[in-house]
Amino acid sequence: MADLISLKNIKRHYNVGGEVVRALDGVDLVIKENEYISIMGPSGSGKSTLMNMIGCLDTPTDGNYEFGGELVHEMDDDQLASIRNRKIGFVFQTFNLLPKATALRNVEVPLIYSNIPKDERLKTANNALVSVGLGDRVDHKPNELSGGQRQRVAIARALVNNPSIILADEPTGNLDSKSGIEIMRILDQLHSKGNTIILVTHEEDIAKHANRIITIFDGRVKEDIMNSDKV
Amino acid sequence: MFSLFAESFRIALTSIFSNKSRSILTALGIIIGVLSVTLMGTLISGLDKGFDKSMAFLGKDVFSISRYEWFGDLEWWEVRNRPRMRLEYVDAIKEKSTYAEAVAPVMQRGANLSKGNMSTVGTQIFGTNTDYMSTITANIAKGRFFTEGEDRSGSRVAVIGNDIAENLFVNQDPLGEYLKIDGIKFRVIGVMEKQGKFLGLFSVDNQAIIPVGTSTRLFSKRGFLRLSVKVPPEDIDNAKSEIFGIMRQLRGLKPSEKDDFAINQTEAFERQYKQIKFAIGGTGIFITILSLVVGGIGIMNIMFVSVQERTKEIGIRKAIGATKNMILAQFLMEAITICVIGGLIGLMMAGGLSFIINKFFPSTMPLWLAMTSILLSIIVGVISGVIPSYRAARLDPIDALRYE
Repeated sequence: MADLISLKNIKRHYNVGGEVVRALDGVDLVIKENEYISIMGPSGSGKSTLMNMIGCLDTPTDGNYEFGGELVHEMDDDQLASIRNRKIGFVFQTFNLLPKATALRNVEVPLIYSNIPKDERLKTANNALVSVGLGDRVDHKPNELSGGQRQRVAIARALVNNPSIILADEPTGNLDSKSGIEIMRILDQLHSKGNTIILVTHEEDIAKHANRIITIFDGRVKEDIMNSDKV
Repeated sequence: MFSLFAESFRIALTSIFSNKSRSILTALGIIIGVLSVTLMGTLISGLDKGFDKSMAFLGKDVFSISRYEWFGDLEWWEVRNRPRMRLEYVDAIKEKSTYAEAVAPVMQRGANLSKGNMSTVGTQIFGTNTDYMSTITANIAKGRFFTEGEDRSGSRVAVIGNDIAENLFVNQDPLGEYLKIDGIKFRVIGVMEKQGKFLGLFSVDNQAIIPVGTSTRLFSKRGFLRLSVKVPPEDIDNAKSEIFGIMRQLRGLKPSEKDDFAINQTEAFERQYKQIKFAIGGTGIFITILSLVVGGIGIMNIMFVSVQERTKEIGIRKAIGATKNMILAQFLMEAITICVIGGLIGLMMAGGLSFIINKFFPSTMPLWLAMTSILLSIIVGVISGVIPSYRAARLDPIDALRYE
């Protein structure tokens, strides 16, 4: 499989009250298409910063980031927004749905930002909801859905633009175990259909769904192993 | 592009309608601003229309010669001490002036008109000659004007205004009928067409015209007399200086003496009117600008609050691919939408009010004014929305996502 993401010596330093915080301090990482990766690490290890970096929400202080041949570290805000829109699907711990919009509207929004005509947009969004098993909930607002259902809406939203990777940040963190299992089943399915998935978690049970487990500590890659259970 | 525009508009409406009372309060400044701009404009354009119509009664090419200036700044006693106008001037001007096309004396007084047990209130009677019809713009609707013979012989005939015809001759043709002017019987020979009110003040239709010969014979000669002189419209200035000369000669004034008469034109009204109009317009513009500025500040405030409240939403939208401009457009659209809704409410209120005012005073709302006030709302929306929207657009997606 071809290289999808390549991070070379990525650094992200913040200046907090005159003191330099090295959230990422020289990360090298290559991710290939259709990989299923877990990023683990204790809080403060820099795994969230790494996820933001891979998700093009943040830019490195130093280092090279290539995404599908494009140089992300040289991009301006609008180019970053466009790559987030086309290539990356986010699934957050707290779902991050628009509270006043129906499930369908929530899934539709990324398509609006990529200027898809209305008819096509509604069809695509609807299909995405059907694919996560919410075909009968399209007109419900987030507060009318259970946690598991909300996260499924978020997954549908992440999928709708056919992204290169799906970035899931603690996707089961706010869910009961039953809903968590359901969400992980969907992610596993997506992987088996050919999607590239990056999972950020601190739960080993969740991390074990992935084929490759990367552990971050003090802003560096501490461990990068293939998951023996899966291989 | 269009779907983005539609989306922004949809978001704006959702946000506005989910905070109804806040939105109404926010729009209040704009409502008042647009209300005052449209009402003021409506009033002025109504005034303009009324004024033009009233001026048409007088005619631009007609001089009114009398003892006093229409809008003079002389002391009243100075005017009082001037000699009266005299009927003899009519023939003298006719004889000497090369420009005068028609010269009519107008001897005006109030009188009581009655028929049977019905009578009119505040009626003016004009004693004049056969030239009179050439000095006014209205026509006779029915019947005829009096003849020179009737004038000379002092016939008791009258041409009556439309109001009088309607009030004294209900369901009856007034022609050939009789009415009483201050108790003296007159025969109605003509009815003037309906003209309406002069500057909204008094009805031009509540008057009767009788031969000046009859008037001087039957009533006091001491009524107020003016001379109406019609001149060719292309020679107004020349005619005016010629008639000044003739009048000075008739008055026997030496070159060193000041004029003791006035030649009035509609121009004098126009000058006075413009002053009033500018005063009203100036006050109106001041109030409007003030309320729009206050309204704009209110909107800017609420937009800052709205951006703050929706920081998380901005983060989500940025994470799923909204660019700076898309966020900017979204909030700008919200500010503009509030302003335009406020503008439309103001416009509707102004429309309703001008409809009511129109019953007392001429007022009409022209289309350009409605357009202007909506355009003005959009401008206020853009100006007051741009800073908060820019702040929203510049938010860092990570910080915004973390915001609770």
